[in-house]
Amino acid sequence: MSEELIKVTINGTEYEVEKGRRLIEVCNENGCNIPSFCYYSDLQVQASCRMCLVRIDKMPKLQTSCTINCTDGMVVTTNTEEIAKAQRAMSEFLLANHPLDCPVCDRGGECDLQETVMSAGNVEERFHEPKNSFAEKFLSPMVANDQQRCILCKRCTRVCDEWMGETVIEAGNRGVNTVIGTYGGWLNCSQCGNCVEVCPTGTLLDAVYRHETRPWELERTVSTDVYSSDGMQLSIGSRGGKVHRIVARDRYVNGLNGEFLDVKARFGHEFVNHPDRIKTPLIRYKKGGKAIPATWDDAISFVADKLKDSKNVGVVASPRLTNESIFTLKRLATEALNSDNYAVSDAYNLAPFFDNLSAPLCNHKEIRYAKTILLIGGEPEEEQTYTAKQMRQAVRNGGAKLIIVNDTPINLIKSATQFVHVNKGSYEAFVLALLDKKNDKVSAKKLGVDKAELEKVRVTIAATEGDFIIMFGGDLSAEAQAVLANSAEKFASDKCKVLYHPLPLYNNSVGANDVMQGKKSLGEVLKESKSFIIGGSLQDANILEEKDFVVAFELFETETTDKADVILPAASFAEVDGTYTNNAGNVQRVRKAIDFVNQSKPDWLIADAIAKELGVDFGYQSSASAVFKAIADSVPAYEGLRYPALKNESKPVQAKHTIHSAKDLSNEIKALTERVEALAGETNKNNETPRIGHKLHRLTTLTSRTPQFHLLANGNPKPENLHVSPLKQFDTDGKAVAAS
Amino acid sequence: MSIISDVINSTKAVIKGMKITISKMPQKKWTVQYPDVPVTVQPRYRGQHLLHVDENGKEKCVACYLCAAACPSECIYIEATDDARPYEERVGRDERYAKVYNIDYGRCIFCGFCVEACPKDAITHGYNFELSVYNRADLLKTKDDLLITKQKQSKNYRVALSDEDVDSEYKEVDKVGIKFRL
Ligand code: SF4
Ligand code: SF4
Ligand code: SF4
Ligand code: SF4
Ligand code: FES
Repeated sequence: MSEELIKVTINGTEYEVEKGRRLIEVCNENGCNIPSFCYYSDLQVQASCRMCLVRIDKMPKLQTSCTINCTDGMVVTTNTEEIAKAQRAMSEFLLANHPLDCPVCDRGGECDLQETVMSAGNVEERFHEPKNSFAEKFLSPMVANDQQRCILCKRCTRVCDEWMGETVIEAGNRGVNTVIGTYGGWLNCSQCGNCVEVCPTGTLLDAVYRHETRPWELERTVSTDVYSSDGMQLSIGSRGGKVHRIVARDRYVNGLNGEFLDVKARFGHEFVNHPDRIKTPLIRYKKGGKAIPATWDDAISFVADKLKDSKNVGVVASPRLTNESIFTLKRLATEALNSDNYAVSDAYNLAPFFDNLSAPLCNHKEIRYAKTILLIGGEPEEEQTYTAKQMRQAVRNGGAKLIIVNDTPINLIKSATQFVHVNKGSYEAFVLALLDKKNDKVSAKKLGVDKAELEKVRVTIAATEGDFIIMFGGDLSAEAQAVLANSAEKFASDKCKVLYHPLPLYNNSVGANDVMQGKKSLGEVLKESKSFIIGGSLQDANILEEKDFVVAFELFETETTDKADVILPAASFAEVDGTYTNNAGNVQRVRKAIDFVNQSKPDWLIADAIAKELGVDFGYQSSASAVFKAIADSVPAYEGLRYPALKNESKPVQAKHTIHSAKDLSNEIKALTERVEALAGETNKNNETPRIGHKLHRLTTLTSRTPQFHLLANGNPKPENLHVSPLKQFDTDGKAVAAS
Repeated sequence: MSIISDVINSTKAVIKGMKITISKMPQKKWTVQYPDVPVTVQPRYRGQHLLHVDENGKEKCVACYLCAAACPSECIYIEATDDARPYEERVGRDERYAKVYNIDYGRCIFCGFCVEACPKDAITHGYNFELSVYNRADLLKTKDDLLITKQKQSKNYRVALSDEDVDSEYKEVDKVGIKFRL
């Protein structure tokens, strides 16, 4: 967009706007509301609904303001009777085939069609011909569909294509029979539900929230996604202590992700109010015995009693917990238990990356407008879906160059300008080649690629004018991370700005790394300690078998709680206040949407209670904001941050991670070179493109509580009778059950 | 003022009063011997609500929450749910119905807004008016109390015919000339 300002007159008032802006946006911003259905700022122009008509001087006929770019001296009228009449006529056409069954329609109350038509008023229905009628059906376990409510704005198809790169939903048939449909009548995609979100009518609907309540009955709480490290902002709709639905944006929310969410963030919330939640503290008095319900007081004093004299207690925090919880667990270890054995149970350790970071982290907007993106390993379309969407749009709408280095032809290679298909486990060789041209020969051999390909990567990077973003999946070794993080100087120039974007697996992996300073590796802690406090669960709990005493904070019974001596019910993300730090370093709020389910408590409050019982008071006075203040006081990257500063989700605050200048990393490089040279170097590539959703739909402790996910994990089978809800026909194991 | 004029004046007043009393005696009596005799209510009387069913006994309410939204005293509580079974098997007429439908008669002001709001003619005011209970919690009526198929109608009312005037105590009965059918 150019910076040049031009003058546009709207309804007699002159406005200064940037040249080339969309007229509809300028009008809406300046209080002349223009009704529209098909226009969507983040999508290509469609101009099919003809609702946005305006009169522009010197132009014949009314014009669609969604297709017009502002030019200097434009004189626009938006509020004459002529326009109102045209819009009324358009609404009448739209309603000609519309069932208007708002009372049963799940969109009722937040329906653009309903609102536009009602606010225009005075619409008469003069068509008395019978309307089309189709049965309501399900397009997948997540998406319900009532074809006749469609106004053919095609937002859904554009979102599916442009955002997700997955053209699985399209318009079919002709004329009045045109409907939105899928190939084969069943949606086989990642089930992001973004089509549901952007649909202005009740044609595509959330099947998990189907017929549950009404939008105006829901309490809305802005919070942060608990699954992916993108830190997507969402709105939790709750009523009477139950989470009913999660959407990216209802009118009041406008986070970094706009209206984008993925399948887990949007539909994976059934765990919050699940009947299997642990109800009370449980104590296992005898190893291998039964866990017996206890009161909180008893459980806490039991724990404190046992830990009072133990040395070297291990404290493990899950990277799913809030910064507050992780920080308090660390303090519990260091201040109350006098132990420096604490760790995060993350699959990957990001410490080497942050210790050597030589350029800032990039936010998601910068990805969208980047010029070159280098992705080493990882699979963002499955794990960091919003990053993947921004990458797709950067290539598609921004003409960015996307270089993907991977051992598997992941789905994202469809958008890639260059795909370097490397041998399994050889990413280090690529990092080495990137570092220095002279390593090309060795690296190319170990990577199993042609030398020319590495040269091509280098040329693309060198030719970048704008932002160059380095992304990497978690499977890089510590040395490779360090070297990569420290190499910004090599690529930076006056024209090219280098930015980093790590792709960790959990919602608060970055935050865990920030606030749990001085942490050890998980393996080390598990080996050294005899007694444990574990916030969350471990990937592999077998090692706990031979330990003396284990305390676990959990939502559900897991393998870890099976081996724990004391199990304390922790609160889910919907029940707590706190913060998560995403992969762009944005510190974002998690807000309490519902009361504690059963007797659960936030992890930090449990840790605080144990510390108090041990005679140490952190001075939190049961306030999450006090914990955050303590974090801000002790973690340099969070210095000065307070909850009020994080209030506005549309202006995310980035933690100030230290930017290091180029370091001497010869030791690391040496280790790296040795390891690369030791690589076998025989062709060992994965040639199969994985199924879309193979990671997204994988059952985890949390998503396994949502029956719909079982269907997805089972390959999303199409039920024989589409008109009967597939949701009620399957139990959580994906087995068919009789409708009750 | 003498005693005599006192006596005359008060006797006058008594006679005046008695004249009215005696003149009313042969007229129609408005007192109803409730509960021995049923009370007559207007056809549009707003008593306890009724939730209606269609001709096959399927609940008409689709749990659209419009009544709850319209209610000025916020006494309607609904929980909607999905019923994907075929029409013959399901509870409601539509796929969507109210799993829970409560009205708190401790708060209802019988304004009739809910009836006005209902797009499905699923809720109307019935005629049951004997709502007093010994326990305040019993004022909360659930679907079981409200459904037309379940609500027990009191024997203590009869509905007036449309041309019948039932509460014209203030009108001149003779002028209107009502024929009573008790
Ligand atoms: S799409 Fe909107 S207008 Fe159409 S039935 Fe649903 S709520 Fe009503
Ligand atoms: S299904 Fe919704 S988003 Fe798609 S074309 Fe129809 S109305 Fe538009
Ligand atoms: S009659 Fe009035 S107060 Fe009573 S439930 Fe209906 S809307 Fe509410
Ligand atoms: S009674 Fe009528 S207004 Fe109330 S929820 Fe049912 S259908 Fe809607
Ligand atoms: S918004 Fe302009 S034509 Fe639809």
